[in-house]
Amino acid sequence: MAAAALRPAILRRIRLSPAPSLPLAAAASQPHALARWLARPMSSHDAHLSREEVVDRVLDVLKSHPKVDPSKVTPEAHFEKDLGLDSLDTVEVVMAIEEEFKLEIPDREADNIDSLPLAIEYVANHPMAG
Amino acid sequence: MASRQKLSGIQKQVLALYRGFLRTARLKAPEERRRIESVVSAEFRDSARNVDRKNFVYIEYLLRRGRRQLEQLKNPDITGLATLEVNK
Repeated sequence: MAAAALRPAILRRIRLSPAPSLPLAAAASQPHALARWLARPMSSHDAHLSREEVVDRVLDVLKSHPKVDPSKVTPEAHFEKDLGLDSLDTVEVVMAIEEEFKLEIPDREADNIDSLPLAIEYVANHPMAG
Repeated sequence: MASRQKLSGIQKQVLALYRGFLRTARLKAPEERRRIESVVSAEFRDSARNVDRKNFVYIEYLLRRGRRQLEQLKNPDITGLATLEVNK
Protein backbone atom coordinates (compact mmCIF):
# COMPACT_ATOMS: atom_id res chain seq x y z
CA MET A 1 0.00 0.00 0.00
CA ALA A 2 1.46 3.25 1.05
CA ALA A 3 2.48 5.93 -1.34
CA ALA A 4 1.31 4.48 -4.61
CA ALA A 5 -2.27 4.06 -3.52
CA LEU A 6 -2.20 7.14 -1.40
CA ARG A 7 -1.55 9.50 -4.26
CA PRO A 8 -4.66 8.72 -6.31
CA ALA A 9 -6.69 8.62 -3.12
CA ILE A 10 -5.60 12.10 -2.29
CA LEU A 11 -6.09 13.38 -5.81
CA ARG A 12 -9.61 12.07 -5.88
CA ARG A 13 -10.41 14.16 -2.88
CA ILE A 14 -8.86 17.41 -3.93
CA ARG A 15 -11.19 19.93 -5.46
CA LEU A 16 -9.58 22.75 -7.31
CA SER A 17 -11.61 25.85 -8.04
CA PRO A 18 -10.64 27.14 -11.44
CA ALA A 19 -8.77 30.41 -11.10
CA PRO A 20 -10.24 32.94 -13.46
CA SER A 21 -7.83 33.94 -16.13
CA LEU A 22 -6.49 37.40 -15.66
CA PRO A 23 -8.45 39.39 -18.26
CA LEU A 24 -11.74 37.91 -17.09
CA ALA A 25 -10.90 38.74 -13.50
CA ALA A 26 -10.17 42.30 -14.47
CA ALA A 27 -13.48 42.58 -16.30
CA ALA A 28 -15.37 40.92 -13.48
CA SER A 29 -13.98 43.37 -10.97
CA GLN A 30 -15.08 46.31 -13.12
CA PRO A 31 -18.38 45.30 -14.65
CA HIS A 32 -19.53 48.88 -14.85
CA ALA A 33 -16.45 50.00 -16.73
CA LEU A 34 -17.10 47.32 -19.28
CA ALA A 35 -20.77 48.19 -19.57
CA ARG A 36 -19.89 51.83 -19.96
CA TRP A 37 -17.42 51.10 -22.69
CA LEU A 38 -19.91 48.97 -24.58
CA ALA A 39 -22.53 51.68 -24.31
CA ARG A 40 -20.22 54.47 -25.42
CA PRO A 41 -21.74 56.67 -28.05
CA MET A 42 -20.17 55.70 -31.30
CA SER A 43 -20.30 59.01 -32.97
CA SER A 44 -19.90 59.65 -36.57
CA HIS A 45 -19.60 63.12 -37.96
CA ASP A 46 -23.40 63.32 -38.20
CA ALA A 47 -24.13 62.44 -34.58
CA HIS A 48 -25.88 65.77 -34.13
CA LEU A 49 -29.57 66.07 -34.98
CA SER A 50 -30.43 68.22 -37.97
CA ARG A 51 -32.13 71.48 -37.17
CA GLU A 52 -35.14 70.46 -39.21
CA GLU A 53 -35.56 67.30 -37.16
CA VAL A 54 -35.27 69.28 -33.94
CA VAL A 55 -37.91 71.76 -35.11
CA ASP A 56 -40.31 69.00 -36.20
CA ARG A 57 -39.99 67.09 -32.99
CA VAL A 58 -40.31 70.15 -30.75
CA LEU A 59 -43.45 71.19 -32.65
CA ASP A 60 -44.87 67.72 -32.10
CA VAL A 61 -44.18 67.87 -28.38
CA LEU A 62 -46.08 71.12 -28.13
CA LYS A 63 -48.96 69.90 -30.25
CA SER A 64 -49.34 66.88 -28.00
CA HIS A 65 -49.77 68.93 -24.85
CA PRO A 66 -53.42 68.71 -23.74
CA LYS A 67 -53.78 72.45 -23.26
CA VAL A 68 -52.29 73.47 -26.56
CA ASP A 69 -54.28 74.27 -29.69
CA PRO A 70 -52.17 72.53 -32.35
CA SER A 71 -53.17 75.04 -35.03
CA LYS A 72 -51.39 77.79 -33.09
CA VAL A 73 -48.08 75.98 -32.85
CA THR A 74 -45.37 77.53 -34.96
CA PRO A 75 -41.58 77.60 -34.56
CA GLU A 76 -41.89 81.22 -33.42
CA ALA A 77 -44.64 80.74 -30.87
CA HIS A 78 -44.28 81.97 -27.30
CA PHE A 79 -45.71 79.54 -24.74
CA GLU A 80 -47.61 82.08 -22.71
CA LYS A 81 -48.30 84.88 -25.17
CA ASP A 82 -49.22 82.79 -28.21
CA LEU A 83 -50.28 79.44 -26.81
CA GLY A 84 -51.98 80.68 -23.66
CA LEU A 85 -50.03 78.43 -21.32
CA ASP A 86 -49.29 79.35 -17.73
CA SER A 87 -45.95 78.88 -16.02
CA LEU A 88 -46.90 75.45 -14.65
CA ASP A 89 -47.77 74.32 -18.18
CA THR A 90 -44.41 75.63 -19.32
CA VAL A 91 -42.68 73.44 -16.74
CA GLU A 92 -44.58 70.46 -18.17
CA VAL A 93 -43.67 71.38 -21.73
CA VAL A 94 -39.98 71.69 -20.97
CA MET A 95 -40.03 68.33 -19.21
CA ALA A 96 -41.76 66.77 -22.19
CA ILE A 97 -38.97 68.16 -24.35
CA GLU A 98 -36.45 66.59 -22.00
CA GLU A 99 -38.08 63.22 -22.50
CA GLU A 100 -38.35 63.60 -26.26
CA PHE A 101 -34.65 64.30 -26.64
CA LYS A 102 -33.39 62.28 -23.69
CA LEU A 103 -31.96 65.29 -21.92
CA GLU A 104 -32.01 66.62 -18.42
CA ILE A 105 -32.23 70.40 -18.39
CA PRO A 106 -30.96 72.13 -15.23
CA ASP A 107 -33.49 74.38 -13.49
CA ARG A 108 -31.67 77.64 -14.16
CA GLU A 109 -31.74 76.94 -17.90
CA ALA A 110 -35.26 75.52 -17.89
CA ASP A 111 -36.47 78.72 -16.24
CA ASN A 112 -35.42 80.66 -19.33
CA ILE A 113 -37.11 78.48 -21.92
CA ASP A 114 -40.44 80.18 -22.48
CA SER A 115 -40.91 79.95 -26.23
CA LEU A 116 -40.44 77.61 -29.16
CA PRO A 117 -37.45 79.48 -30.61
CA LEU A 118 -35.64 79.15 -27.27
CA ALA A 119 -36.57 75.51 -26.88
CA ILE A 120 -35.42 74.71 -30.43
CA GLU A 121 -32.19 76.64 -29.91
CA TYR A 122 -31.46 74.82 -26.66
CA VAL A 123 -31.98 71.37 -28.13
CA ALA A 124 -30.18 72.13 -31.37
CA ASN A 125 -27.12 73.30 -29.45
CA HIS A 126 -27.09 70.45 -27.00
CA PRO A 127 -24.41 67.85 -27.79
CA MET A 128 -26.34 65.04 -26.10
CA ALA A 129 -29.73 65.57 -27.74
CA GLY A 130 -30.95 62.29 -29.18
CA MET B 1 -49.21 83.02 -12.98
CA ALA B 2 -47.17 86.11 -13.85
CA SER B 3 -45.38 86.45 -17.15
CA ARG B 4 -41.93 84.99 -17.39
CA GLN B 5 -39.94 88.23 -17.28
CA LYS B 6 -41.19 89.06 -13.85
CA LEU B 7 -40.70 85.71 -12.15
CA SER B 8 -40.14 86.47 -8.51
CA GLY B 9 -37.97 84.41 -6.22
CA ILE B 10 -41.01 82.82 -4.66
CA GLN B 11 -42.52 81.99 -8.05
CA LYS B 12 -39.30 80.30 -9.05
CA GLN B 13 -39.45 78.23 -5.88
CA VAL B 14 -43.00 77.18 -6.66
CA LEU B 15 -42.05 76.16 -10.18
CA ALA B 16 -38.97 74.33 -8.90
CA LEU B 17 -41.14 72.38 -6.49
CA TYR B 18 -43.60 71.54 -9.25
CA ARG B 19 -40.74 70.34 -11.42
CA GLY B 20 -39.41 68.30 -8.50
CA PHE B 21 -42.73 66.50 -8.18
CA LEU B 22 -42.86 65.76 -11.90
CA ARG B 23 -39.29 64.45 -11.89
CA THR B 24 -40.04 62.18 -8.96
CA ALA B 25 -43.25 60.97 -10.59
CA ARG B 26 -41.20 59.81 -13.58
CA LEU B 27 -39.50 57.25 -11.37
CA LYS B 28 -42.74 55.53 -10.37
CA ALA B 29 -44.78 52.98 -12.31
CA PRO B 30 -46.63 54.48 -15.30
CA GLU B 31 -50.11 54.26 -13.79
CA GLU B 32 -48.91 55.79 -10.53
CA ARG B 33 -46.96 58.43 -12.40
CA ARG B 34 -50.10 59.59 -14.17
CA ARG B 35 -52.00 59.71 -10.91
CA ILE B 36 -49.30 61.70 -9.12
CA GLU B 37 -49.11 64.15 -12.01
CA SER B 38 -52.85 64.58 -11.97
CA VAL B 39 -53.06 65.18 -8.23
CA VAL B 40 -50.06 67.51 -8.10
CA SER B 41 -51.25 69.48 -11.10
CA ALA B 42 -54.70 69.95 -9.59
CA GLU B 43 -53.31 71.00 -6.20
CA PHE B 44 -50.89 73.54 -7.63
CA ARG B 45 -53.51 75.06 -9.90
CA ASP B 46 -56.03 75.14 -7.13
CA SER B 47 -53.67 77.08 -4.91
CA ALA B 48 -52.67 79.36 -7.79
CA ARG B 49 -56.32 80.25 -8.20
CA ASN B 50 -57.25 80.59 -4.56
CA VAL B 51 -54.21 81.98 -2.82
CA ASP B 52 -53.44 85.69 -2.96
CA ARG B 53 -50.03 85.97 -4.57
CA LYS B 54 -49.05 88.50 -1.92
CA ASN B 55 -49.83 86.14 0.91
CA PHE B 56 -46.18 85.23 1.34
CA VAL B 57 -46.65 83.66 4.73
CA TYR B 58 -49.19 81.18 3.46
CA ILE B 59 -47.31 80.51 0.23
CA GLU B 60 -44.16 79.76 2.17
CA TYR B 61 -46.13 77.42 4.38
CA LEU B 62 -47.40 75.61 1.29
CA LEU B 63 -43.86 75.41 -0.08
CA ARG B 64 -42.56 73.88 3.15
CA ARG B 65 -45.39 71.41 3.24
CA GLY B 66 -44.95 70.54 -0.43
CA ARG B 67 -41.23 69.95 0.02
CA ARG B 68 -41.87 67.58 2.91
CA GLN B 69 -44.38 65.67 0.81
CA LEU B 70 -41.93 65.53 -2.06
CA GLU B 71 -39.24 64.08 0.20
CA GLN B 72 -41.65 61.37 1.28
CA LEU B 73 -42.59 60.67 -2.32
CA LYS B 74 -38.94 60.19 -3.23
CA ASN B 75 -38.78 57.20 -0.93
CA PRO B 76 -38.71 54.21 -3.31
CA ASP B 77 -40.97 52.27 -0.97
CA ILE B 78 -43.72 54.79 -1.51
CA THR B 79 -45.68 53.80 -4.56
CA GLY B 80 -48.02 56.74 -4.80
CA LEU B 81 -50.05 59.39 -3.07
CA ALA B 82 -53.69 60.20 -2.63
CA THR B 83 -55.71 63.12 -1.42
CA LEU B 84 -58.83 63.14 0.63
CA GLU B 85 -61.83 65.13 -0.50
CA VAL B 86 -63.17 67.49 2.13
CA ASN B 87 -66.70 68.76 1.84
CA LYS B 88 -66.16 72.51 1.73
